[in-house]
Amino acid sequence: MKKSVPKVLMLGWEFPPVINGGLGVACHDLSIAMSQMSDITMIVPKSSADFRVKNMNLIGVNNVDANLFESYPSNYHKPLPFQLHSIPANLDPYYSQDFSGKGNPDFFGFVNGKDKLAAFNMENLYGGDVINKVLQFADIAATLASTLDFDVIHAHDWMTMIAGIKIKQNTGKPLIMHIHSLEVDRSGMDSTGWVYDLEKKGMEYADMVIPVSNYTAENIQTYYGINKNKITVVHNGSCIVQPFVNERKFKEKTVLFVGRLTRQKGPEKFVDIASKVLEKNPDVRFVMAGVGDYFKKVLEKSSYNSLGNRFHMTGFLNVEKLRYLFSVSDIYCMPSVSEPFGLSAIEAAQFGIPCVISKQSGVAEVLPGSLKFDHWDTNKAADYILSLLRDEVLRKKVVEDASNNLDKISWDVSAEKIIKAYQSKKYI
Amino acid sequence: MPSICFYFQVHQPFRIRDYSFFDIGQSHFYEDDEKNEMVLHKVADKCYLKTNQKMLELIQRHQGKFKISYSISGTAIEQFEKYRPDVLQSFIDLANTGCVEFLAETYSHSLSFIYSKPEFLRQVRKHAVMIKKYFNQEPKIFRNTELIYNNELAAFIEDLGYKGIVCEGVDRLLNDRSPNFIYKSVNGTNIKLLLKNHLLSDDIAFRFSDQGWKEFPLTADKFKNWVHNIAGNGETVNLFMDYETFGEHQWESTGIFNFLDSLPGEILKHPDFNFKTPSEVIACYEAREVYDVHDFTSWADTERDLSAWLSNSMQHESIKRIYSIEKDVLACEDPDILKVWERLQTSDHFYYMCTKFWNDGDVHKYFSPFDSPYDAYMYFMNVFSDLECTLSNKLKKVRTPFSHLEVNGGSGKTKTIEVYESAELLSQELPA
Repeated sequence: MKKSVPKVLMLGWEFPPVINGGLGVACHDLSIAMSQMSDITMIVPKSSADFRVKNMNLIGVNNVDANLFESYPSNYHKPLPFQLHSIPANLDPYYSQDFSGKGNPDFFGFVNGKDKLAAFNMENLYGGDVINKVLQFADIAATLASTLDFDVIHAHDWMTMIAGIKIKQNTGKPLIMHIHSLEVDRSGMDSTGWVYDLEKKGMEYADMVIPVSNYTAENIQTYYGINKNKITVVHNGSCIVQPFVNERKFKEKTVLFVGRLTRQKGPEKFVDIASKVLEKNPDVRFVMAGVGDYFKKVLEKSSYNSLGNRFHMTGFLNVEKLRYLFSVSDIYCMPSVSEPFGLSAIEAAQFGIPCVISKQSGVAEVLPGSLKFDHWDTNKAADYILSLLRDEVLRKKVVEDASNNLDKISWDVSAEKIIKAYQSKKYI
Repeated sequence: MPSICFYFQVHQPFRIRDYSFFDIGQSHFYEDDEKNEMVLHKVADKCYLKTNQKMLELIQRHQGKFKISYSISGTAIEQFEKYRPDVLQSFIDLANTGCVEFLAETYSHSLSFIYSKPEFLRQVRKHAVMIKKYFNQEPKIFRNTELIYNNELAAFIEDLGYKGIVCEGVDRLLNDRSPNFIYKSVNGTNIKLLLKNHLLSDDIAFRFSDQGWKEFPLTADKFKNWVHNIAGNGETVNLFMDYETFGEHQWESTGIFNFLDSLPGEILKHPDFNFKTPSEVIACYEAREVYDVHDFTSWADTERDLSAWLSNSMQHESIKRIYSIEKDVLACEDPDILKVWERLQTSDHFYYMCTKFWNDGDVHKYFSPFDSPYDAYMYFMNVFSDLECTLSNKLKKVRTPFSHLEVNGGSGKTKTIEVYESAELLSQELPA
């Protein structure tokens, strides 16, 4: 070990209070665990004064002193070490509602520092102008980094990749790319385009790639051609949630789906599964928590399949409501088409809910006791659900197995693995 | 001597609230009381009171020569009772003039004719009782929800003893014939049909304030000429529209009340023209031809069919569900549950779920209390699910004996009889 306490510069995108999905939760929980064994400086687009993290230097770009930019000429920044495809318009890789109402039409290189900061005074990190935000974030983070002392650059997902690359260009420090989700997960295995291109070239340029599952590691090799030797898998951990149980207000058992209603999560497969289960057992309710561009499609399909009185959509739920939902649910179902991890399955397992999950997911690797199906095999998923509803012995077994699996999952374990990986490459 | 026949639809639904999944089994309050009260006050002040006052004035001014008709849904009357008794009183005042006829319809402005004849009958009877109670009239003319009509309805309504039906004059079925005559239905039925003249009706209801319309601005003088033009080629001009046209859809600032104020006088300037109520029209004129309506028609949207309520899977699913519980609702014998069920049948709920013109932000959007047809469906089905739970709990009680009677079973043996809460079920269980 070079130094007793390694210094890590983390680049995050979603971070409390701005959370869109698992990425924000993972970044937050992982960095807290890592802060026990390293000095963490985390740069994120938006931070709030109400939200401080112990032992961590959290910098929200929205709170940066604009004067910082006065001392750095705009030619401080070098061009990227590779060429990217032209920038597509209206890119929205994650479903999100644009709360800001308008995007900033200027981007990287054309606005001065103060305006760049202004661009981050918004609630929504995605939306139509996400690329502008990514480029502006990179520019600001690179400038900020020049004032900081660190050993490694640890960037989360493609939104922070350009920032990571720029900082490596300026400082020569090793760049680690932590992969929570890929374009091939979100848009399909034949993805191309700007984001895919950035992910591929970014991972090629990085010194180390840390995917959140073996499943994602394989995708990185298969679809991005990244050398296996550069890849170190670190599974996500889980926060300990105090589970509680509430009484259902109706007699039917409840099967739950939690997630963005996007292609990646297979929401329409949940409708198929519901139809097949209800054919055999009408005393079940299916509940979908989440929003996304599949909302209408799913609702229409559920009515077309005549599931109206057994299929419920809740829209967006806050943490309290979501936990309440877990507390009254009987089965958790995750039919994702491609899920790098799937944190909510862990949360379901913590609530003692048996999980029926897609094999095309990372979480299946850490919950080997759960019931797994290929995402296209909705018959099998329906069979599992029907069996769990009918067979108390099976249900208890699945819950018990999951509980044993959970004992081995923690953010501390994940954090240790990452620090060890730094050490093995002599980054620290 | 051609007649002008005015018919106005007065209706307000009990809109449901954003009833979430978390409310199921938890809250049995489905309606958005605040919104319903707010809308009713708004429409009462902008339309009902003002227009009723104007109608009363006109009837008095023309000394019985100006006549009109209304159909008022049961749900509208209930809201008047609850929030605005002054509106109800102003309708009663109009009824007392003797120049106003009230038509029959389904109590909750429902689509029950399509889904359940027994429920349809129950609602029509309940509505007639209400009309008698407030307006002291026994309706002779029937008007189905939103003028939904077909041959089957004509035969059915004739059997109930009604003399006439008001319906839409649909161009494709009139086939170049004029709507300005009385028609009859197929298969030798005698009931008379009054067909809406949709051109002249919609000139007032929809185009009155349309500045892009080549006839804008519409004056009573101009409208009178169009009406008088039918002299010699028509016997009744049926002007049917939403009552809310006056002051609500067409705001007072458009001049709609001034138009209304001068129209009867202008029309009566021609000595051959008069105003008649629907009953008077059918008493006065013979049916000239057959109006053959195989598929349902209505006065809604440009299609004039059922697509406003029944075109997508969400509408079909929700309405099918609501009628699927009829037996259980009746078995409960609980007036509160019956009322809830009746109100959930109101056609507006399904109208809000229409996706036909959603992207254009059509007239459906104007009326909907929800952000989208998807929300309308989602909340409706949550409400339905709760009602289903209530029903099943209730029926369990009704169907579980609460005591046992020992009776003489004959030949010296005693027999045990289960006693149920429901008398009807009890009688079924008793030995013959």
